[in-house]
Amino acid sequence: MILTQTVALFVDAYRELNARKLFWITMALNILAVAIFAALGINARGPSFLHWTFDNEFFNTGLISKELFYKLQFTTWGIPIWLSWVATILALISTAGMFPDLISSGVIETMLSRPISRWRLFLTKYLAGLLFVAMQVTVFSLGCFLVIWLRGGSAEPALFLAIPIVVLFFSYLFAFCALLGLVTRSTIAALLLTILFWFMVFLTNTAESMVLLQREGAILRLEDAKRNVENQETFAERRLEQLERNGNPPTDANGELITDQDARMLAANPALKMSRERLAKAERAVPTWKAWAARAVALKTVLPKTQETIALLERNLISREEINRLMSESSGVEVNLDEQPDGPAMADPRAQQRVKEIVHARSVGWVVGTSLGFEAIVLAACVLIFSRRDF
Amino acid sequence: MSAIQLTGVEKVYKGRVHALRGVDLTVHPGEIFGLLGPNGAGKSTLVKILMTVIRPTKCQGTVLGNPVGDRQTLARIGYLPEHHRFPGYLKGRQVLEFFAAMSGVPRQTRRKRSSQLLELVGMSEWADKKVGGYSKGMRQRVGIAQALMNNPDLVLLDEPTDGVDPVGRREIRTILARMKDEGRAVFLNSHLLSELEMVCDRVAIMVQGKVLRQGTIEELTEGKRGYAISGAEPFTEEHHTLIRSVTDGLEVTFESHRTTVLTSDPARIQPVIDALRARGVVLAAVNPMRPTLEDLFMETVASDASHGRPGAARKGVRP
Repeated sequence: MILTQTVALFVDAYRELNARKLFWITMALNILAVAIFAALGINARGPSFLHWTFDNEFFNTGLISKELFYKLQFTTWGIPIWLSWVATILALISTAGMFPDLISSGVIETMLSRPISRWRLFLTKYLAGLLFVAMQVTVFSLGCFLVIWLRGGSAEPALFLAIPIVVLFFSYLFAFCALLGLVTRSTIAALLLTILFWFMVFLTNTAESMVLLQREGAILRLEDAKRNVENQETFAERRLEQLERNGNPPTDANGELITDQDARMLAANPALKMSRERLAKAERAVPTWKAWAARAVALKTVLPKTQETIALLERNLISREEINRLMSESSGVEVNLDEQPDGPAMADPRAQQRVKEIVHARSVGWVVGTSLGFEAIVLAACVLIFSRRDF
Repeated sequence: MSAIQLTGVEKVYKGRVHALRGVDLTVHPGEIFGLLGPNGAGKSTLVKILMTVIRPTKCQGTVLGNPVGDRQTLARIGYLPEHHRFPGYLKGRQVLEFFAAMSGVPRQTRRKRSSQLLELVGMSEWADKKVGGYSKGMRQRVGIAQALMNNPDLVLLDEPTDGVDPVGRREIRTILARMKDEGRAVFLNSHLLSELEMVCDRVAIMVQGKVLRQGTIEELTEGKRGYAISGAEPFTEEHHTLIRSVTDGLEVTFESHRTTVLTSDPARIQPVIDALRARGVVLAAVNPMRPTLEDLFMETVASDASHGRPGAARKGVRP
């Protein structure tokens, strides 16, 4: 009976999606995106679109191979723009009504009066909702795979990782959307609040990066300040020795000899005082930023990692090292895209590099595990509400 | 074993609204049972408790021999909710097959039964059209068919004739009779008292969350049945005295041309006829009289002192 019911719910979910115009609009947009992807190209003269070639003496197959060109296109706009934003928003719009519709009067009574437990009904409907994204991403991934294979000459089965990864990423938002749908019973409220939540997750992510950047910057400033004080002290000692050798030891304002060693050093090198002040300031700043960073990381830990989850695809599809290597091979010139890391222009590049390393060091288990933890809690809340409510 | 046996069912909604105040009710196998009551009486709440859609505050009882709320028992129950709404993207046949699958009916059986039941409710021609385009009556017919897809032992129908035209109502009554003949217990929730009267073996009248009366219509009208004797001329005071003298202990009411004697025993009415005939009164008709279900219902509702007016929903009480 369980199998019969599960199959029935999945078939029904498919029929429901099939009946929604937005499903087919999204599918058409996916196909259009793949078509545009296929129409793009690069040759010895420069980039091309359909049969038009835009002559470019730098950006051509001399700098970048066809394979790399298509991979870069996919990782530049296919994943972060299309799958992460456009397709996800369309998927949310399409599926946000699933639970408000289910619990609306006249429908829910017929569903609940069947020999199926409420938690199983909810979770099966939830999984069926993920079908939407799975189907859309499958079409998009298959299209892109064929384009990279036929046009770029490289078969990339890793590209199909997009299906589980994007479904996983969408599931965080869909779980939250389901919870809001159950609580508010409104499709519009569920959709708007989910997008707001998604934006909040994005802001938290950005804030955490900024705070980490500040923390690493403060640590670097402290290390610099320590080195600077040491240098200034060394310079002060040398200067003091020089003054004493010249018979011109440091004196105070009254012309009397200074006996305190530290005061003598400060008198010998007035810049030491400023360096020590900088050090003290840096020492005060580090604990503050460490505390804020801990809070930001803790907040981020309990929230779903949307950006990092999508980034897993990039990690698996093409690494920055691989891009450097392929570009170096094509152009015959050493290329290192990491020389200009992304980040605020005013930020210390070393701090940016450290933050990048910290983020890259986060394991797949942490990214996915903590996100699934969030999703599990949200789904548990959904099941609790759905199971206990009178309809 | 009763199809439904309930004792002391209570439901208090948030906000302390007492929807059910200790409902005792019995439905026997193979009978058509009608539950009637004004809006807000708690009829739909009771049905939803039986179907696990609403959780009772307090409930003792069984459905088909199993405790109320047992999910597996639901596979043996057919249910048509009031104001049901099937997904508009499904075709009539798909509605039947989907809900049958949810009840665990095997695929082959689903196919076969859906065709049979669509034929039964007169929807074969519309079977492959989307329900979004159906009229209310058509949706109701498909709803009844889906309630029978799992070959249930008990069928709960909440306002099954709602929105159905007179021809359709007659067909539904035929279907109900057929369900009974097949040995199913049928639990009907309806406002249409005349409909219930025509098909129900037993009824219960519910007012403000309580069952005030239940039994067969014969039992409920016991002591209220009588005979109406109509004269060709108006009855006089002399006739009234004469009638009183031969109807010892019986309740008699007089109108201009008609006298009503409350008794279910036809032998008790013969002395009245004889006495009147002996006085040369020309009798136009002698008819047995029984209160209608509507009479019973109105009387029950009126007798409930706390109830304001029949059929009025109380503020804050869910229907």
